[in-house]
Amino acid sequence: MESNPEDIRAQLTAAGAVGVLAVEPFDGAAARVKFAPESAAALFQVFRDALGFTHLSTVGGIDWVTRYEVFYLLWSDATKRYVILSADLDAKTPHIETASPTWPSANWHEREAWELVGIHFDHHPDLRHLLMPDGYQFHPLQRAFKLHEPEELEVKVRHV
Amino acid sequence: MSAVAPAAPLPAAPKPGPVVGPGGELPVVTNDVTFVEIETLRSREFLPAAKEALSAMLKEQGESKLIRPVFNWAGRNSLFPLHWGLACCAIEFAAAFGARWDAERFGVVPRSSPRQCDLLIVNGTVTWKVAHKLIALYEQMPEPKWVIAMGNCATGGGPFRTAYSVVPGVDKLVPVDVYIAGCPPRPEALLDGILRLEALIRERGE
Ligand code: SF4
Repeated sequence: MESNPEDIRAQLTAAGAVGVLAVEPFDGAAARVKFAPESAAALFQVFRDALGFTHLSTVGGIDWVTRYEVFYLLWSDATKRYVILSADLDAKTPHIETASPTWPSANWHEREAWELVGIHFDHHPDLRHLLMPDGYQFHPLQRAFKLHEPEELEVKVRHV
Repeated sequence: MSAVAPAAPLPAAPKPGPVVGPGGELPVVTNDVTFVEIETLRSREFLPAAKEALSAMLKEQGESKLIRPVFNWAGRNSLFPLHWGLACCAIEFAAAFGARWDAERFGVVPRSSPRQCDLLIVNGTVTWKVAHKLIALYEQMPEPKWVIAMGNCATGGGPFRTAYSVVPGVDKLVPVDVYIAGCPPRPEALLDGILRLEALIRERGE
């Protein structure tokens, strides 16, 4: 079955989803769904149970300086299409509800997005460092992060 | 059809003298000259010559004086590196132990447990995440032990020197005896580094 933004929009309305801000076409995916971060947990359930997106491929974050964006790439085995969920987060304290109760694969992806971009995932079961040593103090993919002189970084990592 | 040239006679075994490795002349420690002579022999002549030299030295110097040079000679000619690949340089490391470059002819045999090793070849990018494991592996190796930093990454961070996750040189973590430049160094360079380490061990008389 072909799946496109109109389908997704109709299915979301039928499932009674709240917090959807926009459903836009997106190259290579069925649609990009912008949503309000407050309604994240309920919306994740709708996408998995009502729309059949059973697999979460990746979670990522982007620092746009004035705001943060968090995005989720979902895959549906039934329609063989991707859909992208995306939410804008506050630049001061970027945080959103975790998706790991809905898709267990979110666990590590959210750990990575947290440590590299600095987005906090509320109620995450295990928000530890994934690629960096424990106690690493930076979120290196934030725009504000400056490349360090090697010696400077070494000292900071060593003294934690 | 041209006549088949008669096979040239095998060249005579080289006369004992300074050993020339791929990286130049290796230093010779005077009281160690017997072993330098032995090292220049061919494999067929090796065992009888070694036996003769050892019993001669044993008679001449007594046991206690002999043990140390013998251990030094045996150790430096059978360096066991840890079978540990970190990044792209590990491919060249693997090639060096394959059929074409055959590092095992120098007695260098990779082992899979740090407790059986006396040489740590750091062949790749060391991140801060793996730094603790590297130190743990190094500390599990029995003394005496040596470290070769292979490639620009292990030497000084390489192309990732200013990256947020890379240790700028493995000498920040463990003492390094030999540095090998290159990205990646060719297997010949790794063999040269191993031979230089052997010369270093002979020089130090450890
Ligand atoms: S020195 Fe070059 S080849 Fe070796 S690990 Fe670093 S990047 Fe890879």
